[in-house]
Amino acid sequence: MDRVKAYLRFLGTSFAVNVQAVVEYRANFLVQTFGMMLNNAAFAFFWAVLIGKVGNVGGYGFADVMLIWALVSSSFGLSHAAFGNVRSIGQIVQRGELDLYLLQPKDVLLNVLASRTVVSAWGDFAYGFLVLALLPGLSPGRFALFAVLIVIGAAIFTATFAAAESLCFFLGDATGISSAVTEFMLSFSLYPESIFGRGMRWVFYTILPSAYIAYVPLAAMKALDWGLIPPLLGIACLYAAASYGFFRLGLRRYESGNQMGARI
Amino acid sequence: MSAISVQRLSKSFRSKVRPEGLGSSLKSLIAPSYREVEAVREVSFEVEEGEVVAFLGPNGAGKSTTIKMLTGILRPSSGYCSVLGLDPSRQRTALARSIGAVFGQRSQLWFHLPPSDSFRLLGAVYEIEPEVLARRVPELVERFGIGPYMDMPVRKLSLGERIRCEIAASLLHAPKVLFLDEPTIGLDLVVRREVRALLSEIARRDGTTVFITSHDLGDIERVCKRAIIIHHGGVVVDESMKELRHRSLSRKFIGVKYASPVDFELGGLKPVKRTETAASYVVDTNEHRLPEVLRALVGRGELEDLTVEDEALEDIIARIYAAGASTGEAGL
Amino acid sequence: MSGSERRAFRGLRMKARKYAVAASVSFRERTAYGGSFLGTALAYALFVFVFSRIWGTVYAGRADIDGYTRAQMIWYFIVAELPGMALSGVFWSLSQDMKSGQVAYLLSRPYSFVLYSYALGAGKALANGPILLAIGCALGFLTAGPPPLSSAGQGAGLVLGLLLAGSIYYLLNLAIAMTAFWVEENAAFFWIFQKLALVAGTLVPIELLPGAARRAAWLTPFPAMSYAPAKLLAAWPGTGGALGLLGYQAAWALLAALACQAIYALGRSRLRVNGG
Repeated sequence: MDRVKAYLRFLGTSFAVNVQAVVEYRANFLVQTFGMMLNNAAFAFFWAVLIGKVGNVGGYGFADVMLIWALVSSSFGLSHAAFGNVRSIGQIVQRGELDLYLLQPKDVLLNVLASRTVVSAWGDFAYGFLVLALLPGLSPGRFALFAVLIVIGAAIFTATFAAAESLCFFLGDATGISSAVTEFMLSFSLYPESIFGRGMRWVFYTILPSAYIAYVPLAAMKALDWGLIPPLLGIACLYAAASYGFFRLGLRRYESGNQMGARI
Repeated sequence: MSAISVQRLSKSFRSKVRPEGLGSSLKSLIAPSYREVEAVREVSFEVEEGEVVAFLGPNGAGKSTTIKMLTGILRPSSGYCSVLGLDPSRQRTALARSIGAVFGQRSQLWFHLPPSDSFRLLGAVYEIEPEVLARRVPELVERFGIGPYMDMPVRKLSLGERIRCEIAASLLHAPKVLFLDEPTIGLDLVVRREVRALLSEIARRDGTTVFITSHDLGDIERVCKRAIIIHHGGVVVDESMKELRHRSLSRKFIGVKYASPVDFELGGLKPVKRTETAASYVVDTNEHRLPEVLRALVGRGELEDLTVEDEALEDIIARIYAAGASTGEAGL
Repeated sequence: MSGSERRAFRGLRMKARKYAVAASVSFRERTAYGGSFLGTALAYALFVFVFSRIWGTVYAGRADIDGYTRAQMIWYFIVAELPGMALSGVFWSLSQDMKSGQVAYLLSRPYSFVLYSYALGAGKALANGPILLAIGCALGFLTAGPPPLSSAGQGAGLVLGLLLAGSIYYLLNLAIAMTAFWVEENAAFFWIFQKLALVAGTLVPIELLPGAARRAAWLTPFPAMSYAPAKLLAAWPGTGGALGLLGYQAAWALLAALACQAIYALGRSRLRVNGG
């Protein structure tokens, strides 16, 4: 119990320090948030134009598309606000910066993930709630369900990205693969599931789990169905455990950076 | 009980060989060729509790790799090491609570935050009770004279100010063993001296075992009681600082330049190199007193330039190594 | 040719050579460092793929939208995305140069900074563009059949349109990057620019936009960077229409170049004031 308490205190302090970083770089934060909202607004405009012209797209109306954007944006934001290093693991490993975390009496992966926040992610996180508030039918129940769904989504995002980044233990430079995973995850999550052929949809339920971040949560939100939460939680735990195991496996091969290579 | 015990410790890295040229680069993508590099080769030594040990060697000798194995960052390829009775790679978290580490080239402080925040965060990382931390921090701040910097973002601190904060941070959890890897790298002379003084004080006051790597002998001459020198991955010298100083640091290199030609013969000391107006000497301070030599040189004429240097570590090691090899042969 | 004319001509040739070398160095650099470009190519391919699926879904049971068939819409997107993608990242590296003071070092060199920078951009675009175009064409073939290309004249128009579009895109990026002379955080300007470009002619043809938005779009340079070349391939507007579009692009290219020169002149004096 004490261990759990100590970890919570550690994560809490990490988070508090990270918030300070956001405050320290508030100008940057505002600019980034502004840029991201602009980006999302551009796509919202696109969907408004398209759906205005042709009715729904693959069974998705404008509100559905916006809800997906809200879910993905907040999940992605939460993942990067709380675990800001999630897509820097590869770089940290390659530069030998993992040393610092290995020197500290904390779980390495958790420590690495929690020790940074991505400033712009806070904007992503807030944006989802903003969209939710603007969409019709806001209620406390809907809000609560949304909050739970994005926590699950953030866990799955984090697990997937961390696993992709951990490839660098085995391959050296895996930044290409990792950024591809990010691109694919986001691209597939932000568009209606049904526009993709049946042949590739299995991908969204396995290696690029967009389904548990966007499609299934959308169904849950539309029906206000809490019954989907337990299985989603189970799936999130499964992804987290697999990702954690993969990182530990890679850690054994850690070489404390490539400085050795530079000297030869 | 010894604080650090190292037995036949080795570490080798596998590094990809990158051939030149496009064709062979492509080939290496499919079938990369590797080369084993032994960074540390069968190193053995013991460090007693409370000892202050310098771990020396030229760049690339394997110092950092050894310290990284001792702190649990790297897994040894073979051999065994234990720190405070714990196996660093298997009992990393347990060990981390009782050791501190300062890596000169790698900061543990948050770059954009003031040290006070980093201290708070490190307190949580090391699970220091808030009351204990509240007592510990002001004490360290006072000892290290870092009060003025505690609320400035680390990025605005000078290197010297930062390293003092680094060392203070590494002592927050009152470690029993402190590892320092090149703590004075990039620092100017004044700051170096300050850091040395701080390290001496830590060892004296808290009885902390201190293990310092450096490629600069002068750095630790005054702080450490014992020196271990490694070269090409293996231990070449393990003796007290006193012996080492007697053997190696007694050699000073003096260079002089005069405005007009002078007589370079000093009583019993001949220049190793000379021109009309300039000369260089190698002075063994066991035979000649340095102040006297200098006084004599100043008295010879109008000085334009005067330099006094220690022998470079590489040269000392080369000398020791050569001597070791020859005595080894003599013993056969 | 008189002696002085010859000398002037030779001087001109030497000058041109300088920029050609800059362009070719940039070109080779791009081809040597495949890594980051791979990401761009992937993003482009993915984007084209996703949009081909969107249009596939939207056109189910529908022949045309505002005069575009499904195949035309996909080919439109392939071309419209191209200039921005081929020059992706230039804003950030230019902006970085301005902020890091790298530019002060460039300023002292004996060349026109704007032209030199443009040459570097051209090198990059000429290395990236054809590869992206090949990827786009491959995906286009698979999802929409052969491109709606009917004459050599249309092909020439398309190439010219793409070159002009890339030029405008680059010069406007440079202009925005040069605001770093005055403001530290100039990313916001770029984002506004980039997203307006996305909306005004990249994601969908201008014809699909609601009336007011459509009229507003035509007052901006954005259609010249995406809509114009895309239209030239997807829905050839006849020789007259094509010349009109190319003229519209040329006018914006000239305007953008003049804007760069003016901003540079203002910014340069500011750099001196700061003692840079």
